[in-house]
Amino acid sequence: MAKPRVGIFGLTSCAGDQLVVVNLEDELLDIVGAIDLRSFIMAASHPVEDEFDVALVEGSVVTGEDEERVKDIRAKSKLLGAIGTCAVWGGIPGALNHVGRNTLYQAVYGTEEDLFKAREARPLRDVVKVDFSLSGCPVEKHQLVQALLSLLHGDLPSFPTVPVCQDCRFKENVCLLKTKGQLCLGPVTAGGCLARCPSHNIGCEGCHGPLDEVNFAAEAALLEEKGLPRERIARVVRNFAHQADLARIM
Amino acid sequence: MSKRELRLGNVRVLPKDLFPDFVKGLALFGKVYAPVVRPDGAHVFSPVERVADIDMAHPRTMLSPKKYLFPPETEMYQFSPEKGYFDPPVDTAKTVLLGVHPCDINGMLILDEVFRRYYVEPRYFARRQSLAVIGSSCEPDDKCFCKSMHSEYVDKGFDLFLTDIGDAHFVRMGTSIGDDIVAANPAVFRPVEDEDVRAYKHAENCRAQAYKAQVELDSLPQILELEYDSRVWKEAGDKCLSCGTCSSVCPTCYCYDLFDRLNLDVASGARVRRWDSCLFREHALVAGGHNFRDGRDSRMKNRYFHKQVGFVSEFGRPSCVGCGRCIEACPANISIIEMIKSLREEVKV
Ligand code: SF4
Ligand code: SF4
Ligand code: SF4
Ligand code: SF4
Repeated sequence: MAKPRVGIFGLTSCAGDQLVVVNLEDELLDIVGAIDLRSFIMAASHPVEDEFDVALVEGSVVTGEDEERVKDIRAKSKLLGAIGTCAVWGGIPGALNHVGRNTLYQAVYGTEEDLFKAREARPLRDVVKVDFSLSGCPVEKHQLVQALLSLLHGDLPSFPTVPVCQDCRFKENVCLLKTKGQLCLGPVTAGGCLARCPSHNIGCEGCHGPLDEVNFAAEAALLEEKGLPRERIARVVRNFAHQADLARIM
Repeated sequence: MSKRELRLGNVRVLPKDLFPDFVKGLALFGKVYAPVVRPDGAHVFSPVERVADIDMAHPRTMLSPKKYLFPPETEMYQFSPEKGYFDPPVDTAKTVLLGVHPCDINGMLILDEVFRRYYVEPRYFARRQSLAVIGSSCEPDDKCFCKSMHSEYVDKGFDLFLTDIGDAHFVRMGTSIGDDIVAANPAVFRPVEDEDVRAYKHAENCRAQAYKAQVELDSLPQILELEYDSRVWKEAGDKCLSCGTCSSVCPTCYCYDLFDRLNLDVASGARVRRWDSCLFREHALVAGGHNFRDGRDSRMKNRYFHKQVGFVSEFGRPSCVGCGRCIEACPANISIIEMIKSLREEVKV
């Protein structure tokens, strides 16, 4: 059987997810040996970009160039996966979506001129058909490996869709939200990180983005009851998942 | 007293100053796990490193001993092209669980029923058989309602049971393993005297009076049925965060999810069982995108109906043992005691 032709791409993002691929020390050789890696600018020059069986795309769609790029990748790929919270939810590039790009241009470049045809950061699925998603800022190594193995096996990657709280409970952490009244987005955030932050006494900031159905309204009400200002709650929610139905909490 | 009738030959007294020797002596029967106070103040069943860390009296540990019988994640089987399907090793190292409260012992007895009623789950019972259970008495707090759930006492499910009678533990032997533990450590036990029996009765009476929380069980299944469409479900569903905590911490929630984890050869791997919760949206999601319990209110209802209605008709008792963990842990402050009270109120209208 021919090795699957794979391309790994980045749009507007920090390249952190691509770095996770490079950092798969123990697994990298096995995986790279099993695929035909045609385009991965971070690791190899001379990309070949004719057709892909699988494209992994990191980053959100912010510039006109991003939009053209992801449409082109889509056209060349049988399967397209959104990798990382930027690609899945808009991520950090979308944290200030509500402010408007001209204001941001003014603040950063001193002009309101639309230098990069930039607009609000969008997740890939707003622009192209996405076949599978793997969120995380960056993606979790163990999930990325399983996702790649699933693809090699001929399956679409899928993971238990459970909130951060589940692993937090498995670890028997003292609940920051319930016991300490801290801002923790664990209940509304997709698990996978093994409750990294609460395990270090830091409230979850939601870097994996929300689950499909979450009760933001109740979480926000609860946090307000505990004395956290609404604006602060909104800011944390927006950090990684501006799209996460903010209307319901504001 | 009929349920707790004691034959005096099966009881001993363990003076508290000999408790460290007792714990040391348990090593012969397996690695000892007990409720230990962690530096962050949480009570967690953990391997005992220092006897001084043990706190058996605290009302509840974060997770129940369920985690030893039915761990959060277990490999059900492994597979490979050469060997086909095969069993992963089960950890059957001899284990002593010390300081298990009556609610949790009852919780284990309930899990025993569940895991053998229709299909015997061999991994569960392999672990079960490697466990020695040493129960201990406790002081109910405002979230304990085990008495309402008839789980505040045990007459089986323990090898030894220690009741605090002041400067000693009153020790009941439940099985031959319990007998063996006593026989192997003659120096730490002394015979029971009249004074000890009085102290034991006193302790039991005090405990019986100490309950603050209560749930009325009478015709509860029927009341839940009558209140199937009650606003109470809707209101709780609006508050619930679907965090699944109530199921994780519950000593008797046993729902699980299954998925495969592949090895790098993409041909071998393992089928993994992981705790699930009926409060998660995907719990009742089936092929085609249909969800039997799409709303949080219906998921909430499912948890109560399973524990207080379905389980009663199938197993003759609620699967809730009243340990209060879900009340203590729910970030949205949803309380099973308050829920049942509200539903009862609805019936009166
Ligand atoms: S600390 Fe946060 S993630 Fe952990 S259980 Fe509490 S709310 Fe959930
Ligand atoms: S706990 Fe939350 S913020 Fe921290 S790594 Fe996990 S998902 Fe991200
Ligand atoms: S439902 Fe709540 S109170 Fe009842 S056994 Fe489970 S965790 Fe304990
Ligand atoms: S612990 Fe509370 S908020 Fe979390 S799923 Fe259970 S009822 Fe809902």
